[in-house]
Amino acid sequence: MSDNEIILKALYDAVEQVNIDLPADQKLAKSPVTVLFGPGSSLDSLGLVNLIVAAEQKIDENMSVAISIADERAMSQKNSPFRTIQTLADYIDILVQEKTNA
Amino acid sequence: MFIDFLKKIFDEAANNKALIWRDASFTYRQLLERLEYWQDYLKNENIAPGDAVTLEADFSPNAVAALLALIEHGCIVIPLTTPSQEKRKEFSKIAMRTAMIRLDSADNAAILHFDCKSDHKLYRVLRNIGHPGLVLFSSGSTGKSKAVVHDFSRLLVKYKIRRHNLRTLSFLLFDHIAGIDTLFYSLSNGSCLITADNRAPDTICHAIEKFRVEVLPVSPTFLNLLILSEAYNCHDLSSLKYITYGTEVMSEMTLKKCAKIFPGVTILQKYGTSEVGTLRSKSKSSDSAWVRIGGEGYQTRIIDGILQIKADSAMLGYLNAESPFTDDGWFVTGDMVEVDGDYMRILGRESEIINVGGQKVFPAEVENVIEQMPNITEAVVYGEKNPLVGQIVCARVTPGKTESLDELAIIIKSYCRRFLENYKVPVKISIAENNQHTDRFKKVRKNP
Repeated sequence: MSDNEIILKALYDAVEQVNIDLPADQKLAKSPVTVLFGPGSSLDSLGLVNLIVAAEQKIDENMSVAISIADERAMSQKNSPFRTIQTLADYIDILVQEKTNA
Repeated sequence: MFIDFLKKIFDEAANNKALIWRDASFTYRQLLERLEYWQDYLKNENIAPGDAVTLEADFSPNAVAALLALIEHGCIVIPLTTPSQEKRKEFSKIAMRTAMIRLDSADNAAILHFDCKSDHKLYRVLRNIGHPGLVLFSSGSTGKSKAVVHDFSRLLVKYKIRRHNLRTLSFLLFDHIAGIDTLFYSLSNGSCLITADNRAPDTICHAIEKFRVEVLPVSPTFLNLLILSEAYNCHDLSSLKYITYGTEVMSEMTLKKCAKIFPGVTILQKYGTSEVGTLRSKSKSSDSAWVRIGGEGYQTRIIDGILQIKADSAMLGYLNAESPFTDDGWFVTGDMVEVDGDYMRILGRESEIINVGGQKVFPAEVENVIEQMPNITEAVVYGEKNPLVGQIVCARVTPGKTESLDELAIIIKSYCRRFLENYKVPVKISIAENNQHTDRFKKVRKNP
């Protein structure tokens, strides 16, 4: 699997965890285009926080890289990394690469 | 002269047991003899009134006698019990001791003298009026330990009123305000103080049974461990009349369980701090966390939800920190409370409140819920910084039997969701690798 696929898989695992606590009609689909946060999303800010923490744990487990997704830098990106699963995966990819190249 | 009132009581109770230590009993007569021995010892060692002396000891006969002799001699006493040598070194340095008395496990004494410039404005206050002092270190479970300086003669005033003569177990430590309170309450009523070899639930229950203990003063964390250990099933604890608890927020679940396990026992909440001493208190009922506190020499008020106390026996100040008193002499406890008429309920330390997107979460409330789960022995809840919502709630748990973290996290979260608002449900869950409490049986809510 490429890094990108591993990251997507980690995000889907995280989605699965968050879905446990969401009502049936608000569960997130495991798809790159799923909207995470913003218009059209079923997650509130705490839901997003839960998803991010779960994703960090999964990345740590599967790639042995400890990253911190939600920090000042993520908040100051021109395009929010939290828009969709794909944008989040891309952002995580950058963080992972920085960590492993450091 | 400072302990004349105690000596009178000791004389009256000369044949009564004062202490049970290592299963052997010591009468008040023996304690008086030991006291005389220690008064001579201090003179022979050239300890002068006003000297700062560390007393590394526990509740042994010599420890109690040495403490009393040091008070009578007008010394500044710094009791130290902490097993950590590093801490003892740190505390001794802060307290600027000129001598150290150490009692070993056989209760034999050793003394060392130090060439130290033992000068501090609070020590000067005590030396000028010729009063003995007491230095205690605050627990430091939320930060750096602060050295609290008391005028010992003022602390002793409240023990001049005779109260109940009850056999009490000395669970709380010799270098802690609650331990000092237990000791002087017991001595000032000619009662018997029972010491246990260690603070494991089974040892404590064994001591209660063997010595027919009537009062058990403990911390909520210990009560939790006692309930989980089920040690109370293996011993006859029918002598118990009172269980008192304090020093941290009590989980209501623990309280209710405790009331059920000990139906004939009155369970009382105590309230005290190193800075102002222990107040008199009255719980609404054995299974209620609502309590009325105050008593002679104490006034209380609540400002912005935080308890403030004015005490005749308040400390003089800290050796290593700014004065925490308001301009008009009130001590700001940092404890957030809820009020209902005369009664109040302690919600938690202001400094431990977790702020999730502007909404307040008290760690104890979440711990209370998690600890109701069958497979959880202990839960510690704390906040972690988060740029999205300010802080998130994290829980570090000690499970009874091994489970995968993933599964455990799912079960805990869904359990919490049944009883707590969404923002109070822990986002991050981890498994504790070590004990989650200090040697004073107080929870450590530090972010690792």
